[in-house]
Amino acid sequence: MTESYDEVMQLLCDRLNAIVNSNTLVTADTNLITQLSIDSIKLLNLIMEIEDAFDISIPINALADVQTVRQLADLVHKIKTSS
Amino acid sequence: MWMQGDKYFYFEGKILSSTITKLNAPLTQAFDFQPSSELQSMPTPTPTLNTITQRLAGFDTLTSALEYAAEGITGYNFYNARGNLRSVLPYRLLRRNSRMLARRLCGFDLPRGSRVAIIADTSPEFMELFFACRYAGLVPFAMPIPVNLGSHAIYVQQLRGMLESSHASIALANLDYVSFLEEAASAVTNIRWVGTPERLSEFPEADIAFQSNHPDETAYLQFTSGSTKTPRGVVITERALMCNLQGIVRNGLEIRPEDRSASWLPFYHDMGLVGLVLAPMVTQLSVDYLATRDFAIRPLQWLRLISRNRCTVAFSQPFGLKLCAMRVRESDLKDLDLSCWRAAGIGAEMIRPETLRNFAEKFASAGFNENAFLPCYGLAESTLAVTFSKLGEGCKSIQIDSKTLIDKRVVTRLQVDGRKQTEFVNCGRPLPGHTVKIVDESGDLLSETMVGSVLVQGDSVMAGYFNNPEETNKALKSGNWLDTGDIGFLFEGDLYITGRRTDVIIVNGRNIRAQDIEELAEQQPEVRSREASAFGVSAEDGATTIVLVIECRLTSATERQSLITRLQQLVYMAFGVNCVVELVSPHTLPRTSSGKLSRFAARQGYIHRTNLVDQLSLVESGER
Repeated sequence: MTESYDEVMQLLCDRLNAIVNSNTLVTADTNLITQLSIDSIKLLNLIMEIEDAFDISIPINALADVQTVRQLADLVHKIKTSS
Repeated sequence: MWMQGDKYFYFEGKILSSTITKLNAPLTQAFDFQPSSELQSMPTPTPTLNTITQRLAGFDTLTSALEYAAEGITGYNFYNARGNLRSVLPYRLLRRNSRMLARRLCGFDLPRGSRVAIIADTSPEFMELFFACRYAGLVPFAMPIPVNLGSHAIYVQQLRGMLESSHASIALANLDYVSFLEEAASAVTNIRWVGTPERLSEFPEADIAFQSNHPDETAYLQFTSGSTKTPRGVVITERALMCNLQGIVRNGLEIRPEDRSASWLPFYHDMGLVGLVLAPMVTQLSVDYLATRDFAIRPLQWLRLISRNRCTVAFSQPFGLKLCAMRVRESDLKDLDLSCWRAAGIGAEMIRPETLRNFAEKFASAGFNENAFLPCYGLAESTLAVTFSKLGEGCKSIQIDSKTLIDKRVVTRLQVDGRKQTEFVNCGRPLPGHTVKIVDESGDLLSETMVGSVLVQGDSVMAGYFNNPEETNKALKSGNWLDTGDIGFLFEGDLYITGRRTDVIIVNGRNIRAQDIEELAEQQPEVRSREASAFGVSAEDGATTIVLVIECRLTSATERQSLITRLQQLVYMAFGVNCVVELVSPHTLPRTSSGKLSRFAARQGYIHRTNLVDQLSLVESGER
């Protein structure tokens, strides 16, 4: 099963909207740190869900360059298509 | 020979040296598990029972301990996120590989005692490099891996701080992290070489005989803060390390031949390195490792390892237990049998009895025995351990009258019902040869039941902070008493910690130095030095929030908001936590007569302003 980039993005936005339960509508440009205040526990939950949903493993070093939803989607998509 | 006619093969997507399994072959044959032809696809973990007589520490140096352990068949095992065995490193192979790497390191012709920086992910390569340094007479130190979202730039700064402060000559990291390291090392003058272990193994082996190490030599450095400007590298000698390890394995844990450990603790923390890498090695035990990241995402994998491999000794911060209790489902419990777990060491942060009770309740049906809880107290400045509670007796605590504690700083057992009470965990007694005392602000000895600063004396105490006499003098008092910065009291000979130092904030198990947060703030053009104060406030449920109060002259609402957002983002990137930023007018933050900011007073002021109820402060003199 290969998800298209749009599907990855859609799933991420849906999950984030569910996790953060704030009034912010999550889009590709949403900043995970400043706008969503993803704390370490929420982040771990999110990574677990992404890994399970896409059957991938996200290397921890890659997250150091992720700040926005789009950057996260790019990363997931890259791992997914190269695996 | 390792690396000679070297064949690599893929296993679970990772390149492993073929010798790891090759060397495993004789051991497997000895146990007649399976034909060696199947080994490449299915390695087996090192066994629990050894072929040599167990020695409980008592070695003079790390390398002599490894020489002995290598005579047996036990060692280190690494598991992946799915709980499958990823690689096996018996002590015998560790010795061989480390000695070979040591001869390559000797080719650099560095002066004895030169520092070698290693980014410490949970991998066999870290162990090999660490011991290679010791064989070569070099001083290794472990650096963290980047764990926070968007942390790239700040992480590189933190690495650079450690490389500079240690005057490291060589820096190593696995492929995943080496680019961060190269970036960090680019402007550091002392660095001779940066690379991966694979690259190092292409260097020729120097033809030299190793000099034996002396107990007075430095064994390693342990960095204790994420500061970019003033990192503190604790200097631990072979003697201090051997002394602490002996206390831990003989008195704290009473290690036996049938013991086995499981750990997810990072190798760059003192508890992970000393407690779960070195302590098992000096007692020739096998250990099963799970990467910290994999534990954090799927904490039950740790419990499954304990259950499956019948592990008996496993340590965690309270936060780790919380994660397990939070994630466990009814259906997970029936597959777990934790009855083998005899020593569940708890340390590294304030222990709240509810966390332990909650864990014990959740996992009772999986055979967890709450008497296995083993609260202890320690810090990197005393190698690792200072006190251990009594083995096999579980978590003991006392109820203290809160009002007397705060008003008089004296501990009295709760006499009357209905008075507010505070519960503190018994952390037990100091290891043999170590003394704990409680002193007041002027350094005078306090009697039992009086609350004050906790000081430690003994052979495990550090030699100082590397190349940092100022911080060393603050921490080491006359008579080589180490000021732990923690607050507590002695009661019937046992140590109880009532508050960590105010200069350390602990959020979700991470120790964060207040000074490091203030330093980040002061790097902003709008913030002057000594106009930022950071501290933690705790909610009723024990959750800690970091508060950063800034004296600010900005008047425009947009500029103020921009500063707040930027600061929150920076703190998140550097420490992986959210924080509250409060901008106040100049001269709001309370200062001491010498003009120094008082975090304690700043915190009281914040609590007052925000009307936070019930923020009893039991810490009044923790700053140093």
